[in-house]
Amino acid sequence: MFSNGMTVFFKIFAALACLWACLLPSAQAAPRLPTDPTEVLERLPIRPGDTTARELAALGAAVTLAARDTPNNPQPATQLAERYYELAIARGDPRYIGYADAVMATFTQSSAPAALVVRGQLKQYRHDFDGALADFAAALNADPAFASAHAWRGAIYKVQANYPAAKAECDALQKLDRATLYAGCIGLATAYSGQLETGFATLQRALDQTQDAGNRLWLLTRLGEVAAWRGKPEQAEKYYRAALALGIDDGYLLAAWSDFLLDQKRPAEVVKALANWEASDGLLLRLALAETVLKLPAAKAHVQALADRFAAAKVRGDTTHRAEEARFQLHLGGNAADALTIAAANYQVQREPRDARPLLEAAIAARNPAAAQPVRDWLKSSGFEDAHLRQLVEASAAPPLSAPKPEAKP
Amino acid sequence: MTRLRLMFCRLLALCAICALPAVAHKASDSYLVLNVKGQQITGQWDIALRDIDFAIGLDANSDGEITWGEVRARHTNISAWALGRLNVQRGGDCTLQVAEHLVDTHTDGAYAVLRLTGTCPSGTQALAVNYRLLFEIDQLHRGLLRLDLDGVSHSTVLAPDTGVLTIKAGETSRLAQFGQYLVEGIWHIWIGFDHILFLLALLLPAVLVHAVTLGGTRRWKGVVSFRVALTEVLWVVTAFTVAHSITLTLAALQIIELPSRVVESAIAASVVLAAANNLWPVVERRRWLVAFSFGLIHGFGFASVLTELGLPKDALVLSLLGFNLGVETGQLAIVAVFLPVAYLLRNTALYRKGLFFGGSFLTMLVALVWLAERAFNLKLISV
Repeated sequence: MFSNGMTVFFKIFAALACLWACLLPSAQAAPRLPTDPTEVLERLPIRPGDTTARELAALGAAVTLAARDTPNNPQPATQLAERYYELAIARGDPRYIGYADAVMATFTQSSAPAALVVRGQLKQYRHDFDGALADFAAALNADPAFASAHAWRGAIYKVQANYPAAKAECDALQKLDRATLYAGCIGLATAYSGQLETGFATLQRALDQTQDAGNRLWLLTRLGEVAAWRGKPEQAEKYYRAALALGIDDGYLLAAWSDFLLDQKRPAEVVKALANWEASDGLLLRLALAETVLKLPAAKAHVQALADRFAAAKVRGDTTHRAEEARFQLHLGGNAADALTIAAANYQVQREPRDARPLLEAAIAARNPAAAQPVRDWLKSSGFEDAHLRQLVEASAAPPLSAPKPEAKP
Repeated sequence: MTRLRLMFCRLLALCAICALPAVAHKASDSYLVLNVKGQQITGQWDIALRDIDFAIGLDANSDGEITWGEVRARHTNISAWALGRLNVQRGGDCTLQVAEHLVDTHTDGAYAVLRLTGTCPSGTQALAVNYRLLFEIDQLHRGLLRLDLDGVSHSTVLAPDTGVLTIKAGETSRLAQFGQYLVEGIWHIWIGFDHILFLLALLLPAVLVHAVTLGGTRRWKGVVSFRVALTEVLWVVTAFTVAHSITLTLAALQIIELPSRVVESAIAASVVLAAANNLWPVVERRRWLVAFSFGLIHGFGFASVLTELGLPKDALVLSLLGFNLGVETGQLAIVAVFLPVAYLLRNTALYRKGLFFGGSFLTMLVALVWLAERAFNLKLISV
């Protein structure tokens, strides 16, 4: 009974109506009054009564007790803050950073090295590197043998691409006889400053020395990264798989593993690996990248979710995920100019290889090779050897007209 | 009608794309909206259930799941806890109560929604907001405040070291206020599906003439020139505009007031009649008269929105003008898109059969449902 014209009209009408509905003040996000008292509104990230919850409760009780009996003792608060920090890293959940901050708020004047180091850790999480370095310096002032302060300072100097300063921190660890910490510190510093082979061997030696699961996780992950930079994907995969086999939740490991798989054009495995990690922005980005390559239906919703989350972060003035946001704008938002601005701002603060790459890629896509000059300077001065980055540098340095089109997807 | 149902299913499926997936891990935010008009405060405060649980405990049976029943049982505590961490002052402390407890969802999970009401000692002095929610247990928490003070909007992020905000009354320029009402006007035409359909029903025949063919029967055919179509559109749009401007002003100034159910039903009826007139022409030549008379009704509809927004007493005329111009801008945008397309397609079967007859028919059906809903206070379809 419908003519062709009518069908076309319905289609146009449907499309317009949908557009209209989508742009309405989000109908489904309207406040509502539930009717069923058994309706589950929210699932808590930690079940009351499980191990983590009991541990946190015990630490919290100690803090309360100390506040009453020994108000000047920062130790219980420091322990609780450390536990919160670990949770934040493992689960990629920044709320725990806020909890840790609040726990430490009463001890902002404390000169106890452990308290200073936790505060420094929390500051570096928020990319307040100067503040963090000052806290670590104060901790070492109070206790020159406080090894983790050196280790943290070394890590920050590496992020800032200040390798001589990083190596000085590593040397301090060696003087303190902290063999594993030293090897991890110097191994990565060596790799970043251009000697992948030596760095790799040092990290491997550190791995052989330690049985601590946390240390092994970190070393195996870093060995996987270095192996990939050396152009040895089979070796890299072996390390990543060994790290995953430890069975410890770690956002950094999953991010590095997913990036590796994306580079190896194995997006289907990323989708599998990250199935339950949508809550973390960084991992959702990798998931959406993989789904987009595979043209999966879920991609669209995940890209939208990322856009919403970056918008929400912007509202509250949060800039801790700019490297990810640059990748999002470039590969999923199709917005090279914005990607370049964000990647360049990020590179002002963080200068690790994974920060260099989005800046190079965005500069190529935006046909603005000058913007990638800081990365070219860094590669020249550091001698960093990753073949893929070197290719990108050549592409970004070429005159804009003959520049190759940016890769569709990483 | 299975075909039609299929279309609607597809439409729903398309719209489902807008649905938000996965819940995010993000630092804690609360969303606080405050509307302060003189001494009166209304507002809404969205606080994450996870945050409330962390602060005062919600999971009564410790199963890791927060149910509506568990939240409802704690409403009094939630109100006391939240309101104990928010002060609003205008010539002294304002009272604040939670009028209603609802729930909502944001990117990182479920939120308690507190509808607020309150009264201040003064209706003209500077306003101060002192926000302390959650800071003592979560230093990364932020209060995202949108404050509307006597019709002027302010947004800010409240942090532990910037938890206090003071705003002098009438600080924002008249121009900004004008712009705000202009945008509201455009927005209202855009979301006012009934106004759009009415306008389109009147515009659809503008590129056609109902002429006598050689055989003596009357048929629709395309107009000869763009000028003819444009003149017709201008008459219709101008008449509609003049009419609804008159009643909008009268109603906004509270000179004439009509019950909203009558107004809304009459608007639905106007859409039905305008669409039916395309299918069974009664009024052909002076369509602008139809636009004018029904435009009077639509003006009352616009006015109800303006009443909800509230008109600032000190800038009444300016805001009214801004809103009216916004409505016109929105309307002109619709015409600017519609007219060229319709003119180009006017001699095709797609236009005459699909858009003109099909569109008018469908418009009439939708409007009939609205009419039934509004007149008899039913809920048939949810648009």
